This record gives sequence, structure tokens and C-alpha cells, in this order.
Amino acid sequence: MDVLNVEYMLGLVPVLLGYLPLTLQLAGVAMVMALILACVFAVVRVLGIPVLNQLTIVFISFFRGTPLLVQLFLFYYGLPQLFSVLTVIDGVTATIMGLTLHFSAYMAESIRAAIIGVDRSQTEAALSIGMTNSQLMRRIILPQATRVALPTLMNYFIDMIKATSLAFTLGVTELMGATQKEASGSFLYFEAFIVAAVMYWIVVEILSQLQKYLEIRLNKAYSR
Amino acid sequence: MKFWLINTLMVLSLIVSPQLLAQENPMKVGMSGQYFPFTFVEQDELKGFEVDIMNALGKEMGREIIFQTANFSGLFGLLGTGRIDTVANQITITEERQQAYIFSEPYVYDGAQVVVKQGNTEVQSVEDLKGKTVAVNLGSNFETLLRELPYADQINIKTYESNIERDTALGRVDAFVMDRISASQIIKDKPLPLALAGKAFSQITNAYPFQDTETGRALRDEVNQALRTLRENGTLASISEKWFGTDITQP
Repeated sequence: MDVLNVEYMLGLVPVLLGYLPLTLQLAGVAMVMALILACVFAVVRVLGIPVLNQLTIVFISFFRGTPLLVQLFLFYYGLPQLFSVLTVIDGVTATIMGLTLHFSAYMAESIRAAIIGVDRSQTEAALSIGMTNSQLMRRIILPQATRVALPTLMNYFIDMIKATSLAFTLGVTELMGATQKEASGSFLYFEAFIVAAVMYWIVVEILSQLQKYLEIRLNKAYSR
Repeated sequence: MKFWLINTLMVLSLIVSPQLLAQENPMKVGMSGQYFPFTFVEQDELKGFEVDIMNALGKEMGREIIFQTANFSGLFGLLGTGRIDTVANQITITEERQQAYIFSEPYVYDGAQVVVKQGNTEVQSVEDLKGKTVAVNLGSNFETLLRELPYADQINIKTYESNIERDTALGRVDAFVMDRISASQIIKDKPLPLALAGKAFSQITNAYPFQDTETGRALRDEVNQALRTLRENGTLASISEKWFGTDITQP
């Protein structure tokens, strides 16, 4: 076995680091939007709002039921075939939209689970003192559900960061795309991909620490 | 008065500088960036045979070339949705592709190539393989190609897992068959006394695909004209020599 080409790896670090911000931007923006969308879906499902509830069920079924790559291809390459104006959507936007829709479907279900998990007696108590549905959600249910949903939502965010590696199929050169191209020029596949792997890992590790901190904060009311 | 001046200037600029106008119309070219030595990246810089040829074409046409890299699986989607104008990634002309796209003239000719030990004068084409021992890689398309020849029963075909080039150089077999571009690269990169024997047989041609629209056809014609110029003034050949040590742009 040849020895690892450490010099090549060190030379690659600054190059690949240049593509990390785009990876984080794709995942970060998509996460915020998916979170908002997922909260709306979850509330619609829990309250069983007619029509909207049925639409949400179909939406979640489709976006959970098909691979992300299929969805990206469908939106980026398929839809413009039918509506040519859609070609104005660039690769970055399409990736963010794809990640948002795909992950909001998963997150909606985990938020819904967290809401259902709040004991029914709390709802009854809140309604008995005259709170409206929206007050009940904002003041009683969601704060408690957030604590329960946090670990699973963080899971999806981590998954999303890694899912950005599909973006190169839409011509968006993010961390993974840059690594693939560098590796094909040098034939040093192990060296190139191990550098990328460590970068993803460090990012995810930082997020895990953030999760720990958030969990401690959200648990304050429960610790004694 | 002012309007008159501005209008005249605008009309003049349109008439006088088609070059300038073209500069404002860049050509967007898709490639994978993952096909050495055609298109690859080194320290964040896109390089390769395809990049050099395209830049030469851009210069000839007076257009800026904008390279768009994407995974190979996405390239035809980008082309089909008009996000890029063409693909420079050794796209082989096939019947299926011709039904969906129009192609420029070929700029790379590839095919099955007979390779012999340097100084072998007996084998100078595929016909000379009669009565000879020929090495091919196991499971490659070239074994099938050889067996389809009318005089296949007179050829002793030896299949190898690897190292067909070494056994040919050592004289254990009379020749080996491989695609011409890979064979050229082996001859260039490895210190083995080998030589191409004659032209490639069962030729494949690679060209630029364009959308079959008015703008696509116009751009294709423009590229064809530039290709002809670059072929005549030797630019294609010299770029090919630089990357492959041989001219793969000629049939």
C-alpha cells in the first residue's frame, strides 16, 4: 500500500473549505424554511382543519414516499419541460426548495408526535380557564413540544447537511462536488474524500454540542 | 438633440461591433469535471482537453465561455432545460441522442485500436491480425468486436485480467486491442516500446450536442465554423498533442 499523500491533503484543505459556506448555506436556509413549514403542517394535522388536513396528508405522503434525488430531478429538470418559465430557478434555489419540501414532510410528523405527546389534561386545563386555540398552542403546547421534538429535529438538520451532497447533480458545486472534481484530477480518492468526510464530521459535531446546550436550557423547568 | 446622438451611437455600436455583441452573449458549456484528462479540477482550477478546446472555440467565435460543472447524470437535464448551451464531455454521437439533440461536427474520433510492439511491421491494420495472437481485456467490448470480424476464426484471441500492454511489449502476443484514446495515453505515460498499428476500426465520434431550436441550430453552425478554422490552423491538433501525445481530433 502506498503511503498517504499528506501534502496533497493539506493542500486540499483550504480549497475545500472554500465550498463549506455554500454547503452550510444550503442546509441552513432550508432548515429554517422547513421548520416553519413543518410547524404549519403539524398544527394543521393536529387540529384536523378540513381540506388543509387532507392536502397536508397527500403532501407528506409524496415527499416522504419518494427519494430526494428523484424530487430534485423532477423539479429542476422535469417541471421546466412543462412550464418553460421555471428555468429561471437556479440550482442553489432548486436545491434549497427540494431540501425544504422533502425534510418538512419528515419534520411535520415528528413535531406532530411531540404535540400529541403533551398530556391531554393540559389542553383541558387551558381551555377550562378560557384560552383560545391559538393561545393554547403558543403558550402551553408548543413550548413543551419543542423540548420533545428538539433531538429529532436536530437529527433531520444533520441529515440535511449531508443531503446537500446531491446538489452537484443540479450543477451546484458544494463541498462534495468540489471534492469529486479534485479527486478525479489527482486520482487520490482516499485522500480527497477523507478530507471532506472530516469536514462534514466536524460541522455535525459542533451542531451536536449546540444540541446539548439547547437541551439543558429547555430542561431547566424540569430539573430540580 | 441628445436623443439623436444617443440613438445614432447605439445603432452604430450594433453595426460596427458584432464582436462586441457576441461578447455579451456568452456560451454556457456543461461538463462533469470528473473525466481525466478531458475535464478535471486541480487546486480549484478547471483543466483538461475539453476546457482547452472550448476556450479556443470561444476565442475564435468571440464569445465568452462559461463552464458549468455538474454530475454527468445532470448534464443532459441542464441542456434539455436550456440552462446550458452545450455539453463538452466526450459525448458520443448515438442514434438515440440524435433524436433529441442536434450535434456539431465531431472533434474527437475514437474507436478500437490495434497496438503492437514498436518496430513490428507485420501488423499495420486490423486485417493483418489474421493468424496472430491478440490480447484483449476480459469482458471488454473489444473481444466482441474481434469475434465479429469475418476472419475471427483465424485470430487467436487471448483474454487477460490486466497487463495486456506489458505482454505485447514483451512479445508474448503480437498485439492488443483497446480504445484508441486509452491506448494513446498508455503509450505516452508508460515507458513501454509500443506503437499504434493503423487507424482505429469500428469508429465512434464525439461531438457537441445542442438543442434542436433556432438558437441551438445557429449556435451549432457557429461552433462548426470555428471548429473548421481551428482544425485547419492546427489548433485542435496541438491541443490534442499536449494532452495525449497524438492527434485524436482526426479520423
